[in-house]
Amino acid sequence: MYFKGINSYGDRGLVLDFGNETSKSISQEVNETFLNISNLSLQSLNIIPSFNKIVVIFENSKIRDQNKDKISMKMKDTKSQTNKNVTKTWEIPACYNEDFALDIKIIQKLHQITKEEVINLHSSVRYYTYYIGFMPGFPYLGDVPSQLITPRLATPRVKIPARSIGIAKNHTCIYPKVSPGGWNIIGQIPFDIFDLQSSYPSLFLPGDEVKFYSVSLSEFEKIRKYNFSLNELIKEYSS
Amino acid sequence: MNSIIITRAGTHSTIQDFGRFQYQHLGVSPSGAMDQRIITELQKIIPNHQNQFLEFAYVGPSIKVKEGSVKICVGGNCNMSIQKNNNSQLECQPYKSINLFEGDELIIHNTIDSVYGYIAFEHGLGLEPCLNSYSTDTKAGIGSINRPLNDEDIFHISKDVSSWDLISIPIPDLEKVTNFKVYPGPQLQYFSDNTLQSFISGVFTVTNQSDRMGIRLKGESLISSKSHDILSEGILPGSIQVPSDGQPIVLMRDIPCTGGYPKIAILNEVDISRISQLPPETKITFDLQTIY
Repeated sequence: MYFKGINSYGDRGLVLDFGNETSKSISQEVNETFLNISNLSLQSLNIIPSFNKIVVIFENSKIRDQNKDKISMKMKDTKSQTNKNVTKTWEIPACYNEDFALDIKIIQKLHQITKEEVINLHSSVRYYTYYIGFMPGFPYLGDVPSQLITPRLATPRVKIPARSIGIAKNHTCIYPKVSPGGWNIIGQIPFDIFDLQSSYPSLFLPGDEVKFYSVSLSEFEKIRKYNFSLNELIKEYSS
Repeated sequence: MNSIIITRAGTHSTIQDFGRFQYQHLGVSPSGAMDQRIITELQKIIPNHQNQFLEFAYVGPSIKVKEGSVKICVGGNCNMSIQKNNNSQLECQPYKSINLFEGDELIIHNTIDSVYGYIAFEHGLGLEPCLNSYSTDTKAGIGSINRPLNDEDIFHISKDVSSWDLISIPIPDLEKVTNFKVYPGPQLQYFSDNTLQSFISGVFTVTNQSDRMGIRLKGESLISSKSHDILSEGILPGSIQVPSDGQPIVLMRDIPCTGGYPKIAILNEVDISRISQLPPETKITFDLQTIY
């Protein structure tokens, strides 16, 4: 148990505190707690997990105070802390072709490794989805192998292409759409991961496991043409 | 069928409602009207607004009835007039319902000593919700219209005006507030007693680098005794975050969903609406509440 306690955040928010460290096991507890309190049917406006905090937002202080006890009770109830099998495991095709791998040379140079080694290392690990943030559907995945850990770009790129795969520090990510950003871009995936037409618009959820596998440019283009819906993607690429 | 056309979009005109909730854990900001007091008032005059309010800032839009007729009401402190089809001009006021007929053009010139104004339309604007809300987040490209409004945008309102009766309410008392009571933020302890004293006794100026995402303030530098870089965590509108230059930013409706700067304090909900109406160069002060 990393859970430290519940603090107020202004007059209408709560912060569930899981300490100041960050690790996969802390995040697992955060994300299980997130699912548990999401199932409490609280009168909350938003429940936001991150590395070691969960922020819960209410309309006003009265509703906040009424709901705080429900959360406290749930946190004490250690017997029913089960919600483990709802997350998915993804196998995601990734094209590391030079047209997409805009910054792969930075990583090669920093770690003195070949392009193939970067690709093999990046696609060798089953990543954990710490949380979704920064922009709609943007997954913070980690941790990348130590030979790939690379600082953010000194000057952020103004326009990162949609679906780009990035590395910054010990995390990897996918940009759901065109965006400015400072991650080192090493490839691209062939489908969209955020769909506003869907009632549950994000492909990835906090706690999901994600593994990339390398595909050729022609395979990438073939998958790109299918134009999968989110539901089709779930059937095709998750278990 | 009734339809209206935007003849001049104005600045930063977007569709907003009371906010988009339950999606912030997927990176979707709450958005919603900057001054929620005004759309709350407009509900009394146009109860059937369908949550499709037009928000404008500084320079208002002009809208012309292309076909049929519509009933609307404007909220906020603004200059406006109606150019009738027969070339005559009509005076009109906020918080009074307005009936517009084919060829009539409502011209909202500007907001007065404030920033945001709103138009409510009876039966809404014929829009479909996006993630259960009509609000627009232009940066994320989310909304029933996922961009600011443009000249020539056309809206179709299929239902006819229910009654031509003119409805008005007393002009709501939305007095200008420049002293804000704030609650301690989650990283209050990142600032020394001296720095907190500067925060409470200092005067901060609203800068023109302010928008729906945040209001940037200029004043005495609030340097953290610990760090200006925290591990990203969930944030809510009204939070006052302090990046490493020490100049505080009040986060507004289109917040980034998580943030990595320490938050010294947070405003209450109604003060988010109040502070949104302060034009650049307004001087403000903060009063830290200890009980929360």
